Amino acid sequence: MIAKRIQPMAFQARRLYVELMFQVMGRALQAVSEVDATVQKDASALPEGFLFEMMVMPQGSSLIVEHVGNGRFHYHGNSAPRPVDLSIQFKHIAHAFLVLSFQEKTSVAFANDRMLVDGDISYAIRMTRVLNRLESFILPKLVAKRAVKEYPTDLHLPEKLMSAARIYLKVASNFVETVRA
Amino acid sequence: MSNKYYEFFCPVKVIAGKAALEHMPYELSGMAATRPMIVTDKGVRAAGLLDPVIAACEESGLEIVSIYDDVPPDSSTAVVRDIAGVYRSEKCDSIIAVGGGSAIDTAKAVNILVSEGGDDIAAYAGAGVLKRPLKPFFVVPTTAGTGSEVTAVAVIADTEKHVKLPFTSSFLLPNAAIIDPRMTLTLPPHITAATAMDAMTHATEAFTCMAKNPLSDAYATAAIKKISNSLLAVMDNPKDADNRLELAEASTMAGIAFSNSMVGLVHALGHATGAICQLPHGLCMSLYLPYVLEYNIESIREPLGELLLYLDGPEVYAATPASRRAEASISAIRRMRDALYKHCKLPRTLKETGKVVEEQLERIAEVALDDGAIMFNPKEVTLEDAKAVLRRAWA
Ligand SMILES: [Fe+2]
Repeated sequence: MIAKRIQPMAFQARRLYVELMFQVMGRALQAVSEVDATVQKDASALPEGFLFEMMVMPQGSSLIVEHVGNGRFHYHGNSAPRPVDLSIQFKHIAHAFLVLSFQEKTSVAFANDRMLVDGDISYAIRMTRVLNRLESFILPKLVAKRAVKEYPTDLHLPEKLMSAARIYLKVASNFVETVRA
Repeated sequence: MSNKYYEFFCPVKVIAGKAALEHMPYELSGMAATRPMIVTDKGVRAAGLLDPVIAACEESGLEIVSIYDDVPPDSSTAVVRDIAGVYRSEKCDSIIAVGGGSAIDTAKAVNILVSEGGDDIAAYAGAGVLKRPLKPFFVVPTTAGTGSEVTAVAVIADTEKHVKLPFTSSFLLPNAAIIDPRMTLTLPPHITAATAMDAMTHATEAFTCMAKNPLSDAYATAAIKKISNSLLAVMDNPKDADNRLELAEASTMAGIAFSNSMVGLVHALGHATGAICQLPHGLCMSLYLPYVLEYNIESIREPLGELLLYLDGPEVYAATPASRRAEASISAIRRMRDALYKHCKLPRTLKETGKVVEEQLERIAEVALDDGAIMFNPKEVTLEDAKAVLRRAWA
């Protein structure tokens, strides 16, 4: 609690950023699964109704998506309709921030024991691939290179620009819908 | 500020060397254990390997209360339940696993049931489910390869639901690993070779994959040096107890290294090949190791080059220009594989195994891409990349 008195604003901002980033990624996951064949191919191997969660320990922010079939994801916000099948858990908000602000690659974060996997490892591998793909879509190339182990070579600029635009658009409109509802 | 971060953990007491087994009664009494149960398999018993274990205990007045010697090569939840039943009815208070990967994994799972209660081992599957220490548990490895005596993982097949249940917890680690040269003296040549190459792969991948760290590096390099110095000597003279002990120690050290820094693509391909073509794990490791190192080379030039010192010794290392050491390390591993092929026909290519058909490569690549080990490979692997490595490993 002492630390909190020293830097209350910084902690607050980090928490907000992680929360916001989870929301953006959740919506983007849904959006990208509707337009990108590579993500669909990886996701379609997941069982239908499969619930995936990313969360911050102990009971912090979370992101929940469901595989609704044919490689499509549905974003559930931060509450799951039933127990999740796969959970990737950051040990501390600071580690979530490192990854979600693209200072530490997802695979490096795994290697550094920043997070735990609860569930089938092979599904975790698939979801990591989907997240890598997503990151390279929604981030400028320079930042994406830092976030994923290797930047996909089949992601040419026009495709990237167009898809990214489509995703941003979808994310934005989804936000608006939430606000209205 | 450095971006580096790592964790390293190994609380297993290592009891190694001449007359190591005779230390077991003292270690058990130190944990107030008086009624141990042995968990092993038929092969171990038939090879007479239980005799020195039992003799060592009985000579000290410690009675082995029960022996379960029917652990199958692929253990299941039903076997775990059976053994836990015997443990309870015989009122045992500790477990001694004697054997290879399967016996050790089974004993780890049995320890969960007899410590936590219940009959349904599946309830404890996953990571971090266990919250407190289990019963006193000792491991006597009889192969020098898997390193299971120092890993915090067990995998048990649920034969009814057709899934493999993973258990991960530091509480699965045994209290002590007893490494006695008598236990590996009678290991047949092809198993000696394959399991030693498994250990070699553990150390090499630990040293070159993403989670490498200074502590696991120290164990990995020491293990590689021991295997390079001792494996061919043991192949020439299987009764060489000193070099047998070196291999057994190397296996444990490589186990400590990889359980802290993980493995990579060699294991991903090996797990897939094992599952699809029923090939032994160590054989797959030996087979894929050089091809994967070649695939990874530009990402691991520096650490791989450093390994030349431990693979080929200081003279060769000093005489090789720094820019060529990575390639020289791969050549050293290839030479070792050629020697093992001469000794016991340990296959160097998929074709040489005689158990893989070319049409299976696609499926192997697909399954490998879903394997947990691929996460820590230093270079990203796509389906095409995996297939390309497999094609090179074909013949
Ligand atoms: Fe292995």
